[in-house]
Amino acid sequence: MNSADILFLVVALITVASAAVVVLSSSLIYSAFSLLVTFFGVAIIYVYLGADFLAATQVLIYVGGILVLVLFGVMLTHRLYNLNLKTETFQNLPGMIISLLVFVSLALAATQTHWHTISQKPRSPTTEAIGILFMTDYLLPFEVASVLLLVALIGAAMLVRRRTDL
Amino acid sequence: MVMANLQSLRYCLPELTLFVAAMVVVLVDISLKSLRRILNPSLTLLCLVLAGYLSLRAGAADSGLFQGMLASDSFAQFFRLLLILASFLVVIGSLDSDELSPVHSGEFFVLLLVVTAGMILMANSTNLAMLYLSLELVSLTSYIMVGYLRTDRLSNEAALKYLLYGAVSTGAMLYGFSLLYGMTGTLNLYAIRDAFVSQGVDGFNQYTLLLVVLLIMAGFGFKTAAVPFHFWCPDVYAGAPTPVTAFLSVAPKAAGFGILIRFFFSGLSQGTGTQWSMMHGLNWSAILVGISVLTMTLGNIAALTQNNLKRMLAYSSIAHAGYIMMGVAVLSQVGLRSVLVYLFVYVFMNLGAFLVVTVIYNSDKTFEIDDYAGMSRRSPFLTVAMSIFLLSLIGIPPFSGFLGKLYVFGAVIDQGIIWLAVVGSLNAAIAAYYYMKVMKTMILDEGDKNLPPLKISPVNMSLLVVLLLPNVLLVGFWNSIDRWVAASARLFSHSL
Amino acid sequence: MITLQHYLLVSAALFSLGIFGVLTRKNAVNVLMGIELILNSANINLVAFSHYNSANMDGQIFAIVVIVVAAAEVAVALALVLTLYRLLKTVNLDQADMLKR
Repeated sequence: MNSADILFLVVALITVASAAVVVLSSSLIYSAFSLLVTFFGVAIIYVYLGADFLAATQVLIYVGGILVLVLFGVMLTHRLYNLNLKTETFQNLPGMIISLLVFVSLALAATQTHWHTISQKPRSPTTEAIGILFMTDYLLPFEVASVLLLVALIGAAMLVRRRTDL
Repeated sequence: MVMANLQSLRYCLPELTLFVAAMVVVLVDISLKSLRRILNPSLTLLCLVLAGYLSLRAGAADSGLFQGMLASDSFAQFFRLLLILASFLVVIGSLDSDELSPVHSGEFFVLLLVVTAGMILMANSTNLAMLYLSLELVSLTSYIMVGYLRTDRLSNEAALKYLLYGAVSTGAMLYGFSLLYGMTGTLNLYAIRDAFVSQGVDGFNQYTLLLVVLLIMAGFGFKTAAVPFHFWCPDVYAGAPTPVTAFLSVAPKAAGFGILIRFFFSGLSQGTGTQWSMMHGLNWSAILVGISVLTMTLGNIAALTQNNLKRMLAYSSIAHAGYIMMGVAVLSQVGLRSVLVYLFVYVFMNLGAFLVVTVIYNSDKTFEIDDYAGMSRRSPFLTVAMSIFLLSLIGIPPFSGFLGKLYVFGAVIDQGIIWLAVVGSLNAAIAAYYYMKVMKTMILDEGDKNLPPLKISPVNMSLLVVLLLPNVLLVGFWNSIDRWVAASARLFSHSL
Repeated sequence: MITLQHYLLVSAALFSLGIFGVLTRKNAVNVLMGIELILNSANINLVAFSHYNSANMDGQIFAIVVIVVAAAEVAVALALVLTLYRLLKTVNLDQADMLKR
């Protein structure tokens, strides 16, 4: 148990705890900022797994893009003079039971299954390998993903467009 | 046999055409403001015809494409043609719809072209990443299309519900995909099957594989609106503009079944492409049989009490998904053929019923079944048309719906699962009640005597005739349909 | 020693918390946050399996694709939330439920 492992346990704990705050907190702003902590925690987990490019992507897109959008959504959908950012939470017993069941079954699967085993790989920078893969084996998903983003852009812009300019 | 990227392009010309046409429509929409009302639909229809022609010309390569991302076989050809046909009919049906016309702009056609290409990619995917990406492409464009009426509250609510529900289902499916990746070390469907067959699935792995199948069925069940992942269906069908509802009830459902078949038949069973057998360690057929029984029964029973015709047709389409699921669950060549036949005749029946709903809404502004009373006096043609579509949906000969049900029940009996066929026929009998109820209201009930005769626009009238003909005539062509479907029911099954 | 199972347990916890959020939250933006937790948990799975169980980097590629899809989904979701808010002045899913019969 060296220091890196202890640090991993701390990071994992913080990630799960902040995820719990996201779904349990009664204030939307607290949820949004705990989501920020969760995303950062996941990025650190990626670094532990040797996925350096993915960690940078996570921070750039999830924190820098998606979280900012979510904060916009939170702020724009409340009357600002009221600043009523509390949301009704419903301490739902069936929901808690279902999610507990889900966790138990997934944890069982995680620990007991014989996963596909290979010899350990040394960690190495991944950016070049990912770039080459996207241009050779995964070219079609790369192109389709760009169409997906275009359509989402067009659709989102069309949905919020004001009635006056058609 | 897997083709490299440039070679594969030849076999993907239809999808490429659809994507390029979508870009062209975007450009036309923002530049040629005066002509765009005519140009947008014409370009879209032209492109769909071109895509259909290109797919007929290219044929099936019977190999993997794009380094194992897609498959090109006769099964893929069938779905390509079916989905392009469905989109073509929906575009024509959307031209004269009073719901869409006030807000109609080029984006509708862009979305439609992209969603058609996405569905074709989805039905042909053989790599988990490609499958997830194309499924999400179809879902995202569907969410936007459902919310198209920006100022209508119902449309917005439906779109948001659809999005939240769909995102959760596909998120669960994604988790299942990740577990599958962990068990086999690869994302390619055929390599996954080879890994399972060679190393065997024993001990705890059987439980995990079961969990994986349940998680993945969340995503596929959402796309095909099967129980218990159907909750979004009635609300979304009722809130969306009727042409979009018609499209959703037919095309993404067909593509969902395409990927369901490809995933389970090629990925989780042993087979040669025409012979199938269950893999040791996982009996997914039992799960699908259970889902199909639940889906049929719940869909039919819930439709009995509906007064809103769109909601009733939503539950009816859930029930039809149950019938189709029976054909998938039996894991046989006969079952595969029955699914293809059912999907083919289903396009014409369902689009026809929704077109009648659109026409009646155009003049009466209502979706309630009670308001259809006296339709036989106001428009005999419409009443006859609707009756034919409904009789086809029930499955009464000599209409084409009978063909679909005959094949599916035949496949089930062929595998010896008699009780399932009995449940299916009972369900078909229950379904007859609510379809007949609509017919009775239209034909026998008196209705408001002051209402004028119903006018149908020429575009809608011609489309009605175009949709009626297959419903009435297809049974006569069942030999050629049988041959076409038997040739199409061949899945490419070799790994890299 | 940190093994594969640790990562899988973290992702299982995130997935369950995401499911809980989706099932119990009434504000649409909150449900969206739950969905993001689910997608992140699947991503952790993919990257962990790519590192421990697979000879290729497909898991990381898949994770990048998932991030792209999640970004597009959030954009469309927030566009819908904003239009709904403009019409109804609320994004509470209980109140925005005219479709329920």
